[in-house]
Amino acid sequence: MPDIITCFKWAVDEADIRPQASGEVALDRVGYKISEYDRNALEAAAQLKEAHGGSVTAITVATPAAKKGLKDALSRGPDRACFVNDAAFDALEPAQTAALLAGVIRDRLPFDLILCGEGSSDLYAQQVGPRLAQELGIPCVTYVNRITLEGSTLLAERKLEDGIEVVKVELPALVTVLPDINTPRIPGLKDTLEASKKPVQSVGPGEAGGEFPARLQTVALRATSMERRCVRFPADDAGIRELVEALRKSGAIG
Amino acid sequence: MMAGIWVVAEHADTALELLTPARQVADSLGGPVVAVWLGRQEAPPLFAHGADEVLVCTHGGDDQPLEAQVPVLVAEALQAQPEAILVGASLRGREVAARMAAALGTGLGSSCVALRVRTDGLVEMDRLVFGGRAVQTVVCTTRPQMATVAPRTFSPAPPVEGRSGTVRTLPAPPPSPVTVVERKPKPAVSGDVAGARVVVCVGRGMEREEDLEMARRLADILGGEVGCTRPIAEEYHWLPEHTYIGLSGQQVKPELYIGIGVSGQIQHVIGITDARVIVAINRDEKAPIFEMSDFGIVGDLYQVVPRLVDELTRALGK
Ligand SMILES: Cc1cc2nc3c(=O)[nH]c(=O)nc-3n(C[C@H](O)[C@H](O)[C@H](O)COP(=O)(O)OP(=O)(O)OC[C@H]3O[C@@H](n4cnc5c(N)ncnc54)[C@H](O)[C@@H]3O)c2cc1C
Ligand SMILES: Nc1ncnc2c1ncn2[C@@H]1O[C@H](COP(=O)(O)O)[C@@H](O)[C@H]1O
Repeated sequence: MPDIITCFKWAVDEADIRPQASGEVALDRVGYKISEYDRNALEAAAQLKEAHGGSVTAITVATPAAKKGLKDALSRGPDRACFVNDAAFDALEPAQTAALLAGVIRDRLPFDLILCGEGSSDLYAQQVGPRLAQELGIPCVTYVNRITLEGSTLLAERKLEDGIEVVKVELPALVTVLPDINTPRIPGLKDTLEASKKPVQSVGPGEAGGEFPARLQTVALRATSMERRCVRFPADDAGIRELVEALRKSGAIG
Repeated sequence: MMAGIWVVAEHADTALELLTPARQVADSLGGPVVAVWLGRQEAPPLFAHGADEVLVCTHGGDDQPLEAQVPVLVAEALQAQPEAILVGASLRGREVAARMAAALGTGLGSSCVALRVRTDGLVEMDRLVFGGRAVQTVVCTTRPQMATVAPRTFSPAPPVEGRSGTVRTLPAPPPSPVTVVERKPKPAVSGDVAGARVVVCVGRGMEREEDLEMARRLADILGGEVGCTRPIAEEYHWLPEHTYIGLSGQQVKPELYIGIGVSGQIQHVIGITDARVIVAINRDEKAPIFEMSDFGIVGDLYQVVPRLVDELTRALGK
């Protein structure tokens, strides 16, 4: 009966980011969401619990504004949540996030398995999972698209550039999951109602033990420019002929 | 004192590519360029391409994953105190780099697309964030300064005749707690999307796997390759993983990209920003891809593509 921790990030919805004329990135009027692949991690945890029992704790490190995200996460299956929050946690770099998670988990959350997403949808650093494993001194298995548990042994399929690598590890361990590991459920009304009754433990930075200095400093953030001609042609024969003509004129075809 | 720049890679191509920025960094900061060869195959000619010293890993049996080398690399880095470590951003390389950075208590810029050395000795690293909507420039305020760099970000360092140096074999790592029980190699790679002159990209607007034939015909007429979006490769498994384009897939630089049934989510189109001409065929006039295309047709791909094939056949005299 494994105790599972699943790490999720309450991340800026990149679809709301519109480049400013100045090239700056305005982050004041954006929505937030559970980082895309962390929904797969939440789903994987829920499925493992359905199959093997045990418990699932969702954990996030964020500013107090991420409260909304807790309910969203809890509606996807976990029994409880741990909310590591502080007003200063608005631009953490991966080393800090991993150190905070490690500090909190080490002292107060017993576990057999930790699940993370392959990468977060905003930073996509692909660091927090492996860093967290290293900080906790537990084995780490990255880029996994299938998990099987047999008692305290975990079998995982890693999908790498050169093919599938099936690996075996004794728990406790940390696994980062790929989006094709499952299809995340869409929470229904009942799940949402139940979510509001689940316990949330709120933890401040003082309780995480230690200091969490940034090791990476952001010196610039600029919008990428994708400006194109944006010419449209109708979907009829004449339009298609015009398209081919335009391709020829631009030298794209011979 | 600074003790040089490390390049860590498991693939020959990436190792030679990383020697290019490593040499630039070493030229401004001083110290030797040390190539750490992670691969199981024989090392490429690292000295000829600019390494001053080569460290070779000692691999255990077939059940040992490459990541088993982390403790050895960490111990060696603590000894040698390199100023910077550049790691090839293969998937294994990304895990190795993140765990090394954690163990060394240092920062890591992930999947960097550009590196610049500042006069104060810090390496500015550019990387994509928010799915590709923005470029974040970071510096690492601790030592070693670490970065992972994606394949093909730099050209391979040019070979120089007659260079040589010392090769040192690193000790074997302790047995890994994670063991490999099976390897299922991927079938031989067909087609090279990353190097293609024309890419026809299939998205989820395609309804059936058989319909890929339509995309192939279009690609064939144009002398191009068929690529796809991530879900086509990873959810539907219609095309191999190395053909999907975008943030976590391939960067392509074709003369012509034609997206059919591709919505144009930022994580995908960030992989085609270097395409010279972008064409979109999508039945939803509000699909974001139209804002990032040179030419667009709002229509059903099942109607438009066959007619486009006919028209191109006529126009190109095939
Ligand atoms: C961290 C992260 C990394 C990612 N990395 C990548 C990446 O590297 N590459 C990548 O591709 N994605 C990546 N994604 C996923 C990405 O966000 C999108 O989900 C994906 O690109 C969408 O693929 P699509 O356009 O094929 O599908 P959809 O978004 O479902 O679009 C299908 C389109 O087809 C159109 N359509 C449907 N039927 C027809 C028809 N008959 N004729 C014409 N048009 C039709 C629809 O209007 C729609 O616009 C990543 C996501 C995250 C969070
Ligand atoms: N602030 C956070 N709180 C909890 N988990 C996080 C946080 N940031 C990242 N993670 C986890 O680490 C994974 C990788 O994040 P990243 O290293 O930012 O790409 C995510 O998919 C999450 O599972």
